[in-house]
Amino acid sequence: MKINALKLPLLAMLVLSLLGCEKDDDNGPDNEQELITTIALKFTGGGQTVTFTAVDKDGDGGSAPVIQNINLKANTNYTLSISFLDESKSPSEDITTEVKAESNDHLVCYAATGTMVSPIASDKDAGGKTLGLESAFKTGAAGAGTLKITLKHEADKSSANACGTGETDAEATFNVSVQ
Amino acid sequence: MEKRWTSLFGMLWLVVGLPAQLLAQDCNLSLRGQVLNADTGLPMPYAGVVIKETQQGVQSDEHGHYQIERICPGEYTIVCSHLGCDHAEQKLTLQRNAVLDIAMKENAVTLENLVVTGSSNKKAGTQTSSELSGVELDAGRGMGLGESLKRLSGVSTLNTGATISKPVIQGLHSNRILIFNNGVRLEGQQWGNEHAPEVDPFTAERITVVKGAASVRYGADALGGIILLEPKPVRQTPGIGGEAHLQGYSNGRGGVASGMLEGKLAKLPLSGRIQGTLKRAGNLQTPNYYLNNTGVSESNFSWSGKFQPEHWVVETFYSRFFTQLGILRDSHIGNLTDLNNAIERGRPLQDGAFSYDLGRPLQKAMHETFRVKLAHALSETDKLSLQLSRQFNRRQEYDAHRRFNPLPETLDDPNIEFEITTWAAELNWDHRLGRNWRGALGSNAQKQINTVDRGALIPNFDNFDWGVYWTERRFKQGSPWEYEFGLRYDLRHLHVAEQGTNNLDEDRNFQNWSASLGVIYALNEDWKLRFNTGSAWRSPLVNELYSSGVHHGSASYEQGNPDLKAERGFNNSLTLEGSRNNHWTMALTSYYNLIDNFIYLQPRSEAQLTIRGAFPAFDYNQADARIMGIDWTGDFTLHKTLHLESKASLLSGWNRELEDYLIYMPPLRFEQGLKWGFNEKKQPDHPSFVRISALWVLQQKQAPVTDYAPPPAGFVRLDAELFHTLMWGKQRLEVGISVFNLLNTEYREYLNRFRYFTVEPGRNLSLRLKVPFNFT
Repeated sequence: MKINALKLPLLAMLVLSLLGCEKDDDNGPDNEQELITTIALKFTGGGQTVTFTAVDKDGDGGSAPVIQNINLKANTNYTLSISFLDESKSPSEDITTEVKAESNDHLVCYAATGTMVSPIASDKDAGGKTLGLESAFKTGAAGAGTLKITLKHEADKSSANACGTGETDAEATFNVSVQ
Repeated sequence: MEKRWTSLFGMLWLVVGLPAQLLAQDCNLSLRGQVLNADTGLPMPYAGVVIKETQQGVQSDEHGHYQIERICPGEYTIVCSHLGCDHAEQKLTLQRNAVLDIAMKENAVTLENLVVTGSSNKKAGTQTSSELSGVELDAGRGMGLGESLKRLSGVSTLNTGATISKPVIQGLHSNRILIFNNGVRLEGQQWGNEHAPEVDPFTAERITVVKGAASVRYGADALGGIILLEPKPVRQTPGIGGEAHLQGYSNGRGGVASGMLEGKLAKLPLSGRIQGTLKRAGNLQTPNYYLNNTGVSESNFSWSGKFQPEHWVVETFYSRFFTQLGILRDSHIGNLTDLNNAIERGRPLQDGAFSYDLGRPLQKAMHETFRVKLAHALSETDKLSLQLSRQFNRRQEYDAHRRFNPLPETLDDPNIEFEITTWAAELNWDHRLGRNWRGALGSNAQKQINTVDRGALIPNFDNFDWGVYWTERRFKQGSPWEYEFGLRYDLRHLHVAEQGTNNLDEDRNFQNWSASLGVIYALNEDWKLRFNTGSAWRSPLVNELYSSGVHHGSASYEQGNPDLKAERGFNNSLTLEGSRNNHWTMALTSYYNLIDNFIYLQPRSEAQLTIRGAFPAFDYNQADARIMGIDWTGDFTLHKTLHLESKASLLSGWNRELEDYLIYMPPLRFEQGLKWGFNEKKQPDHPSFVRISALWVLQQKQAPVTDYAPPPAGFVRLDAELFHTLMWGKQRLEVGISVFNLLNTEYREYLNRFRYFTVEPGRNLSLRLKVPFNFT
């Protein structure tokens, strides 16, 4: 009797384990990468719309990102609309929709140097806090400087230094010349 | 899967929950122990152990272990016999379960017939090794393999937070250390610093660490050492038995339940065992704040079976390990700016709160091993064995950020997934040559296929390894000298395929030899010197050759170098061992290891610019290195049962080409403990004790300046432990209480990669209970 009591569970374990042998669960590897390759800045104002991009299609490493120089008119009120794209695949994917869908978890930060004042965010996330995909940007007198755009994930938006928290999803520093 | 667990725990519950009177039979005593060669100390397999008065008898297994069950209390004569040895007789009064190790003298006339098994040759031989078993193993294993092994001198850990812990032996870790779980070389994604070994320490009864290059018998790559996990030998007497473990931890409010059930048939030489472990813990707490998302969940299962007809042994073993680890949210950072922000803060953004929830970032790792071993005794002295194994490891990493634009069905897919399948075969011939030489000759082959899904950190690859080895050991009765030498030749073929969308399609070949020589000289009865010298090599790994990308969580960009050559190590170590009865034991090891073409990460002067901003960039580079140090361990009786336990390890790592220190070398550790034993007469086999110990760790002054932050300050930590054996009727209960970080000291460990983001966890009170049980 005792022998049977021992045999049965052992046999059951053996069978279950053999059946349970794991295998590589794909037919082939999925080599698709998930990344933001492009930051596009669309400036509308002064009767024109201009777009400038920072692009790194080959992802981290390889060739460095190509960042266009921004040329804007002096003393003009612009609205700045930022989008993030994955252009490593075809057709390219617009990641901005996801940023909007998870707006509470995202924050776009700006830092300007030189003769400019940083853009002022004009949109809010689902919780009524700053999002930053849309902003107002006023150029002053002619001059030069830089504009750094950073997309933050899970930043602490209630912190005084919200842009110093969270994880950076995308970042580029553009050279700006105002004429 | 779920069903398998339900049935296992249902059975364990039945066994553990049975009324105590079932256990309290009169003739329920057991006698167990190991049969050893009186001269060599090696285990004696297949020796007959018989109780003269009752004629109850068994045969010792291949490790020399034996167990006789269902003995009534009384006075007995134990007779042990073995071909080629004089009979050993020992009188014994049995009142409770007892352990009796039997030493057998070789019979001078038939000396040729001494049996040596593979298992004894597999032991370290002349090399310096330390062992963790019994209470010391029970106390640590709920915390995982790395944390358990920290109890041994010369072993430290490389941590990624408190939940990911990799053993470091004499300054080397990851792929420079081989881990053998029940005879199978663990193959997973060990190249990553944050990839903890996928083994359940509850499957092991004994863990042995062999320090220094041990390539010859175990395979190339073992420049740092070997970790052997050995399960309890299978049951030798008919019936059912097992053990149950319950452990609870205050920090993280964690719990571990582990059970083992084993049995042997009366009519057939067949025995089997099932074993499982469940573990769950939540967020850990430092003295001043909680660490969000640092919980862990683990479920492991294994079974084994052994069939032993005359002259044959057939063993099967299967294990499945599955863990889910939360990673401290604040450690996942986007780029160099984020990292500097985090280091400046030095602690998580928020105070955190307790929770069992496992969120992102998250790691899931599954490891499965299946092996079959066939052994045949060719003669009294020779044994042939063949081992076949298959391993599968799946590692899934979930970043803080989900994949962009997921489809509903891929919403919870990992950001990166590695899958590796390994098939291995090993053929070994244990033999004896002439009077005094015994050795092993064998060959092994291994085939591996690795795929990476999503992400291009490392390429897909497959490789083939083949090796052949020969070791001989000379031991002569009455001579103070003992020698051992070994030779090995290995080759590796590596084929790399796609890396991301780029098909590399490259073939690499590496081949070379390893050799070792060991000498033991007994100065007198108390003192012994061990000297070992050897050379081993390690071929560069796929991440060292082809890594390209930002390593998750470490905010660093790593670039492999396809031109790397193999590493070549030259190890030398000298150990002085001493012991006198119960008064003191000590071991002092000094080692001097040169590693040519040592592969390491060299920081680049310029950061790597990406669309996520700038990352510190590292190139895999190689240079000649030197690692030397001293390990010390001692146990001194101060008064009666009061012991002073002392451990220390000191090492220095040097890049001989750059003339700079090597990064991530353990700083000086020095541990002193006072242990007071009691209840030794009642429980000679499991004596109770109280221990208090202090650990001093000095600041690592020998570190290169290229680190993100300087090494943290030194610290002193106090730990305490109580162990007691109780009898509940006739049932033995082993109870342990430990307090880790008694004073709730705030400190950082240099070898914890999360020291940038947080201090180490605070005080942790743990309770544990072990219930061995036996039905016949």
